Amino acid sequence: MKKRNGCLTAGLILTGFMAVFILLGCFWTPYDPTAMAVGPKLDGPSLQHWLGTDNFGRDIFSRVWKGTGATSAIALSTVALGAVLGVTAGALTGYFGGWVDGALTRLNDAITAFPSILLALVVLSLLGSGNKYHVVLALGLVFAPGYARISRTAYASLREANYVQSARLMGAGHGRILLVHLLPNTLYSLMPALTIGFNNAVLAEASMSYLGIGVTPPDASLGYMLSEGQGMFSAAPWYALGAGGVIVLLVFGVGLVGQGLQSRDRGVG
Amino acid sequence: MKYAARRVVAGLTTMLLVSLLAFVAFDLISGDPAEIMLGTQATPESLAALRAQLGLDRPLPVRYLDWLGGFFRGELGISYQYKQPVWELIVPKVGVTLCLSLLSFLLVLAVSLPLGLLTAGRTGRGEGLRTALNQLCMAAPPFFTGILLSWGFGVALKWFAVGSFPDMGQNMWGALRYLFFAALALAIPRAAMTVRMLRSTVAEELGKDYVRTAAARGNSRTQLLRRHVLKNALPPVVAFLAQTVAELAAGAVVVEQVFAIPGLGRLLVASISNRDHPVVLAIVVILAFWVVLSGVIADLIQQRIDPRLRLGGGE
Amino acid sequence: MMKKKLWAGMLSAGLLLSLLGGCGGEETTQTRSPEEEPDRVVFEDTARKKEATVGIAQDLDDSLDPHRTVAAGTKEIMFNVFEGLVKPTPEGELVPAVAESYVISEDRTTYTFTLRPGVKFHNGQTVSAEDVAWSLQRCADETAGSSLVEAFSAVTGVEVVDEKTVSLTISEPDNEFFSYLTAAILPKDYDKQDTAPVGTGPFRFVSRSAQDNIVLERFEDYWGIPAKLDKVTLKIMENADSLLLSMESGAIDLCAHLTSTQVEQLGEDFYAAEGTMNLVQALYLNHAEKPFDDLRVRQALCYAVDREQIIDLAFDGYGSPIGSSMYPAFGKYFDDSLSSYYPHDVEKAKALLAEAGYPNGFEMTITVPSNYQPHVDTAQVIAEQLRAVGITAKLQLVEWGVWLSEVYSGRQFQSTVVGLDASTMTARALLSRFESSAKRNFINYSSDSYDALYARAQTTYDDDTQTALYRELERELTVNAANVYIQDLADLVAVRKGLEGIRFYPIYVLDLSGLGWTGE
Repeated sequence: MKKRNGCLTAGLILTGFMAVFILLGCFWTPYDPTAMAVGPKLDGPSLQHWLGTDNFGRDIFSRVWKGTGATSAIALSTVALGAVLGVTAGALTGYFGGWVDGALTRLNDAITAFPSILLALVVLSLLGSGNKYHVVLALGLVFAPGYARISRTAYASLREANYVQSARLMGAGHGRILLVHLLPNTLYSLMPALTIGFNNAVLAEASMSYLGIGVTPPDASLGYMLSEGQGMFSAAPWYALGAGGVIVLLVFGVGLVGQGLQSRDRGVG
Repeated sequence: MKYAARRVVAGLTTMLLVSLLAFVAFDLISGDPAEIMLGTQATPESLAALRAQLGLDRPLPVRYLDWLGGFFRGELGISYQYKQPVWELIVPKVGVTLCLSLLSFLLVLAVSLPLGLLTAGRTGRGEGLRTALNQLCMAAPPFFTGILLSWGFGVALKWFAVGSFPDMGQNMWGALRYLFFAALALAIPRAAMTVRMLRSTVAEELGKDYVRTAAARGNSRTQLLRRHVLKNALPPVVAFLAQTVAELAAGAVVVEQVFAIPGLGRLLVASISNRDHPVVLAIVVILAFWVVLSGVIADLIQQRIDPRLRLGGGE
Repeated sequence: MMKKKLWAGMLSAGLLLSLLGGCGGEETTQTRSPEEEPDRVVFEDTARKKEATVGIAQDLDDSLDPHRTVAAGTKEIMFNVFEGLVKPTPEGELVPAVAESYVISEDRTTYTFTLRPGVKFHNGQTVSAEDVAWSLQRCADETAGSSLVEAFSAVTGVEVVDEKTVSLTISEPDNEFFSYLTAAILPKDYDKQDTAPVGTGPFRFVSRSAQDNIVLERFEDYWGIPAKLDKVTLKIMENADSLLLSMESGAIDLCAHLTSTQVEQLGEDFYAAEGTMNLVQALYLNHAEKPFDDLRVRQALCYAVDREQIIDLAFDGYGSPIGSSMYPAFGKYFDDSLSSYYPHDVEKAKALLAEAGYPNGFEMTITVPSNYQPHVDTAQVIAEQLRAVGITAKLQLVEWGVWLSEVYSGRQFQSTVVGLDASTMTARALLSRFESSAKRNFINYSSDSYDALYARAQTTYDDDTQTALYRELERELTVNAANVYIQDLADLVAVRKGLEGIRFYPIYVLDLSGLGWTGE
């Protein structure tokens, strides 16, 4: 079906734009995001400060810029970690089955039934809060069960497929079958979950920082800035709107890509 | 009903595991309830005495079994911080969070069912815009929407006073009106997801041969939907909705902060940082129960719709 | 069943929305439910003048028993419910309360109190000498490991002399023991103080709903000047960010401890009152950790940190700079000259660092309890200021519970920004922790001359000499750069116009009894 895929195009453009924006932010921002008193306090948007300044006279645009990078980096690493953990667990249980499968599935259920915020908080408290690597680890653990479930189903349905059986007959070991033969095929079914996962990770990081248990100042994080911005909404609405708007744009773009990929596969507009 | 029984047993095991996990995790993390209770006034002697009084000096398995025994007798213990029975403390909060989640769930249903069913399989002009709008709604984080709503309706329009959540027992309507805005913030992204889910499932079903044949025989769209499509498309949707119910309860934690609603979420966050174990455990078990229950109900509904699933045993 | 109800609820919610939308432009802010009959609204409006809603940042998630209460936020509010034999005034004096008068013996060890006649508990009982003696003994009770109120460990005997006289003996003369007699007087053998407290104060406790509110009502039989308001609802607003929205939407009439940013955003409905928080806010340094064992490094930090800039940037100029462990409200003990002992001087700081062997600075961690925004803000500014002298300071935000166990009890930290308060109105409360063997010496400060001076101050009973000794102790802390002392925070209180009578005390309390609506 040859049809223009508007979603994918728009999503890729938006995400590409955000990616360039983030990458640029790693090397250069208009102002030092933590430098104080670079402008008047709580000043509205102007040519010097596109999104105004915050209560310390820091440039909000630079902070949002840096914060977007931090949030995306955390989200990407979270998805990567969650996927690695999840796929490993899913592959082993789906492929081998048996009591390991049963036990891990139960554990998986239990983790899923655990309020995610609580789980993240417990892991964070164990590791020490206020460190972004710990946030990644905590969120990665929260996200892993979802991926495990998907890849378990995929592995289970493929383990008796013809090409797997012939590989086995040709003397391939379990490790080789799992990695070389099955992994590429199951990854495909994981794709939509990965884009959705990225978005969920962005939102999860933001809500944890909003609750004050994620990334902490002076590091710029979109969620923390949003919670600060809420307290200054009447005096400086651009703070909350800037941070919140960027979250929406980020998630929107990746969401469009995900939707576009899905509809391309299915061939439905 | 063997299947149902098995499902319930699995659910109970899950809950047991959850409580054990919570118990162990709380033993590991830093922050000691006795230290928090005595604050900056603590001396080593008073700390030791308090730990003994709370039974914190006993080994972990003993404490867990003790707690479990109490749980089955219907005793959830006394809150370390509030010195009140945990039951007394959390019952009103459960009501608030339950109302918030259910209200939000009803909003999701009220918006997504008609939208999803009406638009499924229909492509035409404005389709791109519709998809974009749907994606945009999915991208709206509840706490951000919440800030905008509470500012717009609370401060600018003064339709409700942020932070003046009334007592549910005395002023049910006032409370529901207040919750409405929080529920809205919570419902928007989930409703958008449900619409998308419905549309794709129903559209897929509509494209199948048997439906096309039925359409060729002159059945109207409504008839098609009612007689054929829904029966087959609904099970995954029901599963998705069950997940939605669970996620709404978890999402309530954050939204309660934004709107200053005294629900389970706020109590949970506060109790975690106070290391008030009895309260945390009770709330964790309740939330887990909520998740497990919605899962079980979804499974049972799915079976009613499509008895074939019973053979699969749900695995 | 449930569903039906909720549907109805939703529908009516929608209906109300449209109704309310019609009158959204009106000026009056409504906290009452609007569906009451119109003729009652007038009545409700005058009744409202007798009530107020006060926002508080911390839940009273603590024992409400005044002898067991730990949290400063709980004590702050329960000040309105309980009274001791004596009680503090806004001027910092102690005046008789449940007692009518007192006599201190020649040897300064026996205190004899004559009770005020007709003082009543909130449960209607009249305060008897037995109640008083029982309460004092309870404070000294050591079954929980150490005495409930620490200073009472010095109590050797409590005696009921006659039906209106009680005497109390302490082991050694102690000038400051008297200030501990603000400890609450409770009805004898009443065992529900934890959750349903009963005292003698101007307000009586009505109810508490966790994470939601606490309700106090005027005590009609109060012996002194009665409270002006009939009812005060304390609304818990743990999320500082939604607090402002609540104030602007009319849900809250008064809120203390606001940040200057919040105050600046207040609409026309509010005015701001400024008091002091009575905290010693400082960058506390762990002397057992390198490099803070080196005097030169600590002094370098003192020179590198610009107090004025902190107060300007993070607090819009509100706050009084301090130079030692004492704040201005303590009057005679406070030595203002110490506040400018270390002027802001980047070059001097760099020179001192180089001398100490850190020409390129070093890395350090500042641990801050995340629930105290003023401290988080201060730490952020300090980190920026330290960057100018080459020190890379990383902020580590932790929960209060973690702070208590790791920093305060565990002493596992490098530096921390917090504010320490005085639980009673004594200089000792602020200076005792720096004695090298003190249990609360979480910064591991150790100085022989300080210990010697402190011991002398404890055995001096002449007020002037003792005051001079305390001031010397303060100077020692400054000269030794024990910590980087910053400021006593300003207590900014937003009050709805028409509500008058807020009073500030030199200790951390919120007195509600003077509050009332004008124009009645």
